Amino acid sequence: MGIKEVIETINRMQADGVIERYAIGGAVAATFYLEPIATLDVDVFVKFHTEPDSQMISPEPIFRYLRDRGCAMEGEHVVIAGWPIQFLPAGSALVQEALAKGVEKDVEGTPARVFTAEHLAAIALETGRAKDKARVLQFIEANAIDLDRLQEILTRHGLAGAWQQFERQFLK
Amino acid sequence: MKLDLTPILESKRTFRRRAAARPIAEKLRMLDALRERTLAIRGSSNPGPAKKDVTHKEHNTGTWKK
Repeated sequence: MGIKEVIETINRMQADGVIERYAIGGAVAATFYLEPIATLDVDVFVKFHTEPDSQMISPEPIFRYLRDRGCAMEGEHVVIAGWPIQFLPAGSALVQEALAKGVEKDVEGTPARVFTAEHLAAIALETGRAKDKARVLQFIEANAIDLDRLQEILTRHGLAGAWQQFERQFLK
Repeated sequence: MKLDLTPILESKRTFRRRAAARPIAEKLRMLDALRERTLAIRGSSNPGPAKKDVTHKEHNTGTWKK
């Protein structure tokens, strides 16, 4: 049991047509670029199928699919291979772009789609909690992001001001 | 006598660089182990994951809200 099994299950969900596209975000995605970051759950951003005759997106098909395969619900999470998984919609333009531009990584033969390092840093900056700012610093200190690409993303999504403030606070 | 933190900080940076450079599958196994350890430390009084403030599911409608 472990995260690799989680990734295999999500890949199967995609192959079975339950979700259109997914990308892992949060601390698990950051671990693809940095040192392992302790976390208690996995954030999976998904493009949901819309219900027929409805503009509403619903996670119900995901829950039904996983419940049918013996996964338990734990509050807002579905437990896969012992890990609570939170399936999240791409709620903002930035997250939609991150989902569209997610990259495929190889985990011992298993493909895993994750946000790019630059999108993870931009989302962390947008979220703006202390731990998110610390994560942006980790990306910078580890030289794990292309700063020009990050700037482009931030400008495109109206986060240039937040970046300037972050720079003043932590980098100058 | 002054404590020179420089070698300690450099040693930490080196450790983090080496951890970051490990194969991804190994890092994910480390996440599995870290989670087990965190849950063991927390004990059975608070086994659930931390609450998220990003979105939540409306249980009566099955839709997502910010």
